[in-house]
Amino acid sequence: MSEIRPASSASPAIEVENLIKLYRRTAPGDQLRTLKSALLERSLTRHLRREEAIVALDGIDFSVAPGEAFGVVGGNGSGKSTLLKLVAGMLKPSSGRIDVRGRVAAMIELGAGFHPEISGRENVFINGAVLGLPRREIERRYDDIVEFSGLADFMEEPVKNYSSGMYVRLGFAVAIHTDPDVLLVDEVLAVGDEAFAHRCLRRIEEFLAAGRTLLFVSHSLDLVEGICDRVLWLEGGRQRLVGEPRRVIDAYRQEVAEREGEAHKAAKERREEREESAAEGAPEARLRWGSGEAEITKVRLLGPDGGERYHLSSGEDATFELQVEARRPLGDFVFGIALSTPRGHEVWGTNTDLEGYVPSRLAGEAKVRIVCPALRLAPGEYRVDIAVHTRDGAPYDYRKEVVSFTVTAKTGGVGVYFPDHRWEFGDGVQWGKDD
Amino acid sequence: MAEESSAGAVRLPILMLRVARQILHFLPLLLTLTARDLKARYRGSVLGFLWSLANPLLLLGVYTFVFSVIFQPRTPGQDPYALFMVSGLFPWIWLSTSLLEGTMSLIANSGLLRKAVFPAELLPMVSVLSNLVHLLLAVPIIAAAIVTGRILHYPVGGLASLLLPAVILLEIPLVAGLALGLSALNVHFKDVRDLLANLLTLLFFLTPVLYPLESLRKYLPIYWVVRSNPFTPFTLAYQATLFRGEIPAPGLWVQMAVVSLVAWLCGSWLFDRLRETLVEAA
Repeated sequence: MSEIRPASSASPAIEVENLIKLYRRTAPGDQLRTLKSALLERSLTRHLRREEAIVALDGIDFSVAPGEAFGVVGGNGSGKSTLLKLVAGMLKPSSGRIDVRGRVAAMIELGAGFHPEISGRENVFINGAVLGLPRREIERRYDDIVEFSGLADFMEEPVKNYSSGMYVRLGFAVAIHTDPDVLLVDEVLAVGDEAFAHRCLRRIEEFLAAGRTLLFVSHSLDLVEGICDRVLWLEGGRQRLVGEPRRVIDAYRQEVAEREGEAHKAAKERREEREESAAEGAPEARLRWGSGEAEITKVRLLGPDGGERYHLSSGEDATFELQVEARRPLGDFVFGIALSTPRGHEVWGTNTDLEGYVPSRLAGEAKVRIVCPALRLAPGEYRVDIAVHTRDGAPYDYRKEVVSFTVTAKTGGVGVYFPDHRWEFGDGVQWGKDD
Repeated sequence: MAEESSAGAVRLPILMLRVARQILHFLPLLLTLTARDLKARYRGSVLGFLWSLANPLLLLGVYTFVFSVIFQPRTPGQDPYALFMVSGLFPWIWLSTSLLEGTMSLIANSGLLRKAVFPAELLPMVSVLSNLVHLLLAVPIIAAAIVTGRILHYPVGGLASLLLPAVILLEIPLVAGLALGLSALNVHFKDVRDLLANLLTLLFFLTPVLYPLESLRKYLPIYWVVRSNPFTPFTLAYQATLFRGEIPAPGLWVQMAVVSLVAWLCGSWLFDRLRETLVEAA
């Protein structure tokens, strides 16, 4: 997966080989054994049985070329921060090899070592020293640091009086001015206001342009895609995929959507179970009501292949399939469907009456399908309401949020509708290359 | 410092020097952090560092009253009692607060250890150094006491008191080594702190700070317990230079050097052994 790797004959800036990191499970009353293991083996995890250890990282293998921006994505607890701390040298690998060439600065938490009682100015010097910068160097860069942070008026104030944004701005300003060869960033750009975030990104881009190396951990997938040359996707401490950002991030997003789909499915099953077990006298009035003369027994969302789905790609064919059971033959009936967002905004709704179907007879069990070719919803979560009622609107069975599903799309957008579209430009408009 | 000179003389295993080398390498950072510690401690208080003197002076007043007014001294060689006591008490307070704070230093600063690439051995050293500064700030009080004693025609102080820095320097590896080892142990074994607090209380009375060592001659077993307490040689040396105005005997210097070296080697070895597991456990 080296297609995007910058052409460089130099040896890699970061090289990670078959890295494994275990943590010891702490059991109460275990201190003496832990101490013994630390003393005799210089490790907390050697000779541990499988159930006594937590596998934080398992078989990680990658290398980052000088000048490359390498992103790491994955869910909470997937091992991203552990990986960063291992590369920073704060933790020792349980096995495997890590080589980092050049000076490393780790932004794992900004303002490490800031003391709340003393002034911003003094903290700049202490923080700089903690990050390995001699006092002379800090003095030389002090003005730049202050200017970058935008806190010139507050440098004599104790840091405890800073807002959390100011704290982070000062921390970032110091860290970025330590001039490292390899910068490790863990989710620190999420704080600070928009303007400062832009300044940080610009600074990181200058940093990369100067041939330095970046290892970037973030939950902000757009940011990772925007900055990084390659991306590693970690899941449960294992390496799922490494490669070109768009491909890895799309795959990651797809899987997250599938997971959410599974959650929707589980929620639906729970709901159905609850409804079944609920006594006749205590119906779940909020989510289901009606006379019960006809009943919606089952609702499914089907994908283009006819299989049951809980997530869709925008533009895929979708079918909503209902099973209806009439207690007695009915001559007055309307089937309706409505889609809404989790916050209750209606997206689309229709029924057979509105579309001109005149009811004649509904008896026994019946299947109804609403087929939507190329359903172009914007990325997001949607809920489906299904109803059978009379033409006057008296419900036989009204089921709110009977199914929910997630929609993903290749590109972003605002709103709920995602039409097929393209841009066309006249001669006066020119575009650069995406780097 | 002692660890350097001894290294040249006896060629100790490399591993035992790693901690010392690391500390020397990060000396500017160590000084910066010590300054931070001191500044932060007294920022915003009106009396500032004078508070560091309040407790020793209070102790001094109480003990002096109890032992020279209520209980009349039964053995000679501790007159004036206040000056006798002050010469042993201030160094003891340095020792005990350094160890108590040093033991907690890794846990108290676990944020720094877990969030930054940071040489952990600096943290117990900061405790030792910032409390050393407090000891040095108390020197004027000791000097004033000596001058007062002189004016009252007691044979205290004199040129021998200029040896005070040498005794302090010799004690630094002892305090630092113990703080290092205890801080690392305490990360895995939180009982260390409470154990230490009680042990220090006991040791305070087993060190001849409140009474002259000679007064124990009548109870030989206790005399030897006190005499073999590793902190006793230092207390005797402080009393010799400051109170009696004598140059400590050569044997005492040797004892101090040996105790200090052994403590440093044990402490730094222990720390080095546990280093790789500190970040995870802190």
